[in-house]
Amino acid sequence: MGSIQLALLLQSLDQQLVDWAWIRQNYREDIVPAVIGHIYLSFVSVAIALAISLPVGIIVSRYRKAYPPVTILTGLLYTIPSLALLAILVVIPGIGVGPNAVIIALVAYSLLVLIRNVVTGIDSVPAETIDAARGMGLTERQILFKVEIPLALPVIVAGIRIATVTVIGIATIGAYIAGGGLGQLIFDGIDQNFPTKVIVGAVLATAMAVVADLLLLALERYLRPWARRVRGAS
Amino acid sequence: MIEFKEVSKIYPGAQTPAVKDLSFEILEGEICVLVGPSGCGKTTSMRMINRLIEPSSGEILIDGEPNTKMSGTALRRKIGYAIQQIGLFPHRTIARNIATVPQLLGWDRERIRRRVDELLELVGMNPADFRDRYPSELSGGQQQRVGVARAMAADPPIMLMDEPFGAVDPITRERLQDEFLRIQENIKKTIVFVTHDIDEAVKMGDKIAILEQGGILAQFDSPENILTHPNSEFVASFVGADRVLKRLSLLRVADMRLDPADGADDLPTIDERLTVRDALSQIVGVGATGGIVERDGERQLLTIKAIEGLLKDSGSARG
Repeated sequence: MGSIQLALLLQSLDQQLVDWAWIRQNYREDIVPAVIGHIYLSFVSVAIALAISLPVGIIVSRYRKAYPPVTILTGLLYTIPSLALLAILVVIPGIGVGPNAVIIALVAYSLLVLIRNVVTGIDSVPAETIDAARGMGLTERQILFKVEIPLALPVIVAGIRIATVTVIGIATIGAYIAGGGLGQLIFDGIDQNFPTKVIVGAVLATAMAVVADLLLLALERYLRPWARRVRGAS
Repeated sequence: MIEFKEVSKIYPGAQTPAVKDLSFEILEGEICVLVGPSGCGKTTSMRMINRLIEPSSGEILIDGEPNTKMSGTALRRKIGYAIQQIGLFPHRTIARNIATVPQLLGWDRERIRRRVDELLELVGMNPADFRDRYPSELSGGQQQRVGVARAMAADPPIMLMDEPFGAVDPITRERLQDEFLRIQENIKKTIVFVTHDIDEAVKMGDKIAILEQGGILAQFDSPENILTHPNSEFVASFVGADRVLKRLSLLRVADMRLDPADGADDLPTIDERLTVRDALSQIVGVGATGGIVERDGERQLLTIKAIEGLLKDSGSARG
């Protein structure tokens, strides 16, 4: 098969699936706001989830008895199907439809992973490192902020990575209850039988997840400078 | 000066005390080794000095003051602390590890920088090479050196060392011990040194406290007296059947009075820096009856007989 024929075939497919002219025309009104809305949903959700998980994780790592109930509760939240959770939230008075319901759902999904990674990160700090720190006269607070959290940070960021990628994916469903974001394009495209919107929404959501994953991976590496160097001198 | 006054420790839920009625005194500028089998409470005793563990009864005086007079953290910043597992901060460079206590004490940057370099030199590591490395890039011996340097950083008058050379191979350990003794000759710290190894205790200690199961002080004396006059069956068996030889490792050939050697060219040459034990081993090893020591350009004779005499002397002199 000649390359010209292949190009023609691709072009015809192209015309059916992706209407480039539409993209050029509606770039500002439809696509950019959807991207911004999606970033907003994902970022705010992960930020709130982190603000809850850090203190909870630190407390749980100190008071071990609290860990099983916390795990059970966040695990339960994690298992609720996302559509069902959104539906429940919408009927709760004071929440209703809109981005807030979506954010609450996304926070609920992130807690399990984030809390678990905060606890795992703190647990991974060697006991002798803490003993040495205490023996040199660091206060409990200094041990937490100068030793435990810096050493746990790469593991915590690994949790943020998983949570972020998950949240970017689930956030698309949020459009179902008028949460905005790239899901809006996808749902519109389905309703209007206009594949271009579906594809644009899906491709951008995927790209966003990949980019966030890579950025956070880079951050994770950056936070562990001691592991980047070559090991074992002499 | 550190004084234990009837110190006991019973851990919650334990049937027997970990440390029982411990009373003894560590003099300024001395290395006091706490030694004994595992479970004898030696580490517990050490950790009660800087209040990582609080005693159940009794008290510990530091320079005449109870160690409970200031807060635990303030106390610990004044006492050097080095442990077997080292516990370097993996996320901090060597320089920042060593700077830990000076930073807590609020030293200025320039003073800390100078102190870090000085300490690296002291433990035989080139500051330019090691300052900015991370602990994971160092060998076990180098990490232990850094651990000791970090404990000495703020120049504390007292240092607690819990098997500080325990995590390295025997050859490196011996070198680190020698280096540390050389450093101690100049800095004259009051050191509490915990080990389970009686040979290390004999080598490092000005005084040795032998503890037995249940945290009971079995004997507290100089290494020589403990080797010559163990006061119980337990101490005798703990120091071992080779305690006569161990005494020889306390002495150096350089410290012996020797006669000039005439002739006797077939005898092995002995380095006068060796311990008498090592010299004896070298002599017996080649099947000779003595060795030649070169001292101040003179050839002197070290015989097995002279070594035997040494054992009798120190035995009766201190009896």
